[in-house]
Amino acid sequence: MNSLREIPDWLALRWENARPRSRLVIGAFVVAMIGLVGLTPKSFFGVPLAWPYVGLIAAVGWGRSGLGFGPMVFLLLFGFAQDASQAPWGSHGLANLLTYGFSAMVTQMADTERTPVLSFALPVVTLLFGIGLVWLTASISSGHFVRVAPMLTAYFATLFVHMLISPLFDLGTQRHAMGGAGR
Amino acid sequence: MPRASGKGYRQRPLRRYGFFIAIAGLLALLLLQTSPRLSEGVEPIRTAASDQLYHVTRPSLIDRISGASAKERRILELEARVRELAQYKALALTMAERLEVYEDILNMQGEPGGAEVTARIMAETDGPFAEALLANAGATNGVQEGYYAENDRGLVGRVVQVGQRSSRILKITDFNSRVPVMGEASGLRAIMFGGRDGLGRLTDLPEQDDFLPNERILTSGEGGLFPRGVVVGHVRGKTDKEVRVDLSMLAGQLSYVRLKPTITVAPPEAFPVETEVADLGEGDGS
Repeated sequence: MNSLREIPDWLALRWENARPRSRLVIGAFVVAMIGLVGLTPKSFFGVPLAWPYVGLIAAVGWGRSGLGFGPMVFLLLFGFAQDASQAPWGSHGLANLLTYGFSAMVTQMADTERTPVLSFALPVVTLLFGIGLVWLTASISSGHFVRVAPMLTAYFATLFVHMLISPLFDLGTQRHAMGGAGR
Repeated sequence: MPRASGKGYRQRPLRRYGFFIAIAGLLALLLLQTSPRLSEGVEPIRTAASDQLYHVTRPSLIDRISGASAKERRILELEARVRELAQYKALALTMAERLEVYEDILNMQGEPGGAEVTARIMAETDGPFAEALLANAGATNGVQEGYYAENDRGLVGRVVQVGQRSSRILKITDFNSRVPVMGEASGLRAIMFGGRDGLGRLTDLPEQDDFLPNERILTSGEGGLFPRGVVVGHVRGKTDKEVRVDLSMLAGQLSYVRLKPTITVAPPEAFPVETEVADLGEGDGS
């Protein structure tokens, strides 16, 4: 039993010591897995489930560490994978990248670590920004305003999943370095 | 912890440039897709990507574990089959209507139908003496000796014994069974009997011609034991002495059979035209 209890500590220690590039790859893997599961039909006792925009979660999380080429490439790839359904090519990538930039900008401008309210509000706002971008691009490409309700349910699902897995998108780079982990 | 000063951003503007270039590139890509021609050009890529993702993700892991994927696959197969059969049904109905019209035009006499019975097979004897089936329909159901039995694929046998509530069917796989048959394409006649290997054997073959390879074998109706045109099987192969036949009934289910009477057409002498002859006689006398 003791050895079982030690597993979380061991994992936390390994994560603490992980290099930014390893963290980036792990985060990308998590996004890919959740995204793949999201492509399958999902229902809970017959009720269809809203699936989170996990690419946006990664954008918000990686954006906190500043801009970097690695996260940008992954976000672009995730965007194209999301576009494979029926969206215009580049629309999800644009939303992912702009959310990434927005998250990096807000984190740089605001002292989120010293202000707990901001640290809570940042993902709420940035994810809303990202979902809003998806809604906007969908509306522009289809030529009419698309329904808001499904986007809102997806937003809340994204927010909920963000609370669970956001530590996985902390690249662990120092703030003053602001270099991102992609390179 | 010291607050970020943004110094890193200023020191490394390359990332910012990269970011803005990527944004501009994506916007350009989105704008390019407003052109219908370009949009049509990239559509095959989307189709290929969607196909790949579909195959990766279906069935889902949960479905695989719970076995739902196998059921779903089976349902899809059956649905496809139903759609296919529905097409055949529509075609058959159309053809039946056309056939009726043609028969009316030609003033063709239809064949009289008989009482048919569907019976369940209660027992099967594949012993060394006889290969027979015991069906749960007998004289009370209207079954008579000489009825022939067929399943969903073809001829099964002939009723050789009838009780009040059951009947015995001698299968065409029995060695003592003799079925007058003909080739559907060649039109050649022969007699088929059952072999020990579950195949039919043709005997009394014509000396001049040969049955065609893989040709469908039907009952010829000769002798009046079986009606003409019931599917028996198809030619499997030919050795020096005999032609072997793959029996169609073995590909179908043998739990239920349809027992049908063999309708024979009476010869003219059985029902002579007496009135006309009498009239002619009277005419000669006057």
